[in-house]
Amino acid sequence: MGIFVFLPLVLPLTALPIARLAEQHLHPRSATRLLSAVGGVLALCSTLCLVLLVVVGTAQLPGNPLPDGWSDPEVRAAVPYDEVAGKAAIGALAAVAMACGGLLRRHVRVRRQAHEALAGLPGSPVAVLPDTQAYAYALPGMAETPGREGRIVVSRAMLACLDDDERRALIAHERAHLDARHHRYVLAVQLAARANPLLRPLRAAVAYCAERWADEDAALAVGDRRVVARAVGKAALVSRQGPAPTLLGFAAEPMLPGFALPGPVPRRVAALLGPVPPASGWPPAFTAVGLAAWTAAAGTAVSALSSANAAVALILVLTAATPL
Amino acid sequence: MNRDQAGARRSVWKEPGVIEDGDAEVGGWLRRPRRRGQGELEAQVLSALRGAPGPVAATWVQERLEGDLAYTTVMTILSRLHTKQAVTRERVGRTFLWRAASDEAGLAALRMRRVLDGQDDREAVLASFVTGLTADDEQLLRDLLKGAGEEPEG
Repeated sequence: MGIFVFLPLVLPLTALPIARLAEQHLHPRSATRLLSAVGGVLALCSTLCLVLLVVVGTAQLPGNPLPDGWSDPEVRAAVPYDEVAGKAAIGALAAVAMACGGLLRRHVRVRRQAHEALAGLPGSPVAVLPDTQAYAYALPGMAETPGREGRIVVSRAMLACLDDDERRALIAHERAHLDARHHRYVLAVQLAARANPLLRPLRAAVAYCAERWADEDAALAVGDRRVVARAVGKAALVSRQGPAPTLLGFAAEPMLPGFALPGPVPRRVAALLGPVPPASGWPPAFTAVGLAAWTAAAGTAVSALSSANAAVALILVLTAATPL
Repeated sequence: MNRDQAGARRSVWKEPGVIEDGDAEVGGWLRRPRRRGQGELEAQVLSALRGAPGPVAATWVQERLEGDLAYTTVMTILSRLHTKQAVTRERVGRTFLWRAASDEAGLAALRMRRVLDGQDDREAVLASFVTGLTADDEQLLRDLLKGAGEEPEG
């Protein structure tokens, strides 16, 4: 197993260039799917690797409930720097578990509260709220509770700043979020970013790609890309004064300080005013995009293989060391 | 929003969201009572108040709600609505008279604002249509929209 057990912990470093290239060149639908799949697999491998290190680390602690044989020198030889790595991994795994648990709890709580807030309104798919602050949200349904289907929440202030076509674009955009269940992709990479901080660049990238995906779907539904661009632009200008958009704006955080990239909204508008993105699936290998896609696939495969290798090797060592 | 306000808001929302109807305890687990969420109850109390001829007492509301809600439950819901400024009350003698101050949609808007404002840790749960703009972004956006032949007002 050797040093390869650490590989899945470091391979997520490839996430940053992959995210940057994919969001610029791939169709937003493919980019969202590719990036969240890559993020999910890399995070699982990295966590599996932590679990293996924790097993070896815990076996060294006095009074641990694991079989005595698991602290034998043969087992410890399987992991380089087992003393430090094993104990550090215990803390790291606990931190990962707490961060992921906290995120899931908050996610469920806010969803439940938002549905509670809308209780008592007629069950139409679009809830228009008399609010002076401009906002629009797609609220995913809660499958386990009947009567809490996915809904679109729009404030009157938001509708007031848009004309009829732009309102249709806005609703089509939110509809696309709900229909394609974009919140799952976003949640997956958010969990991944907590499992391994090196995966953080994927968070903003997937959030942005999901918005672009919904923009493109809205453009298809409305039949005019410029209408969607105008709707996004006007909505952003109207809601800029209020505190709410930055509070919930999930792509609002800068990707890297020092990179003076424009924020997500101007990029979305510019993309909508530009040509339709190519809808082809897998890009050719010898372009920047193709290279990124293949690097992503290769990095993920190597990560998966090395963590599988480490898991099998450690299970064999532990089985051999377990007294029958 | 300062920290104290945020804390107070959150503590309001941490209260149990479900109140059970009537004789919930009698049947125990075998006879599951119909559970109404806090939001649904608030909406029902508010709509009852909106149908009132004028300011009314809590017992008036209690009589007009379906299911046997305890008087204390109705009072709790009325106080919550009062905290949210969805109802007003005036003291007459030893009781309060209540009056609706907003409609169901207004109440939903108040509650939704509370959920949105409570999210100061910038977690993405709801996909916002647009996100925040920096000053540079705003200028860039205005230029883009101008190029698209649309003069943004405001």
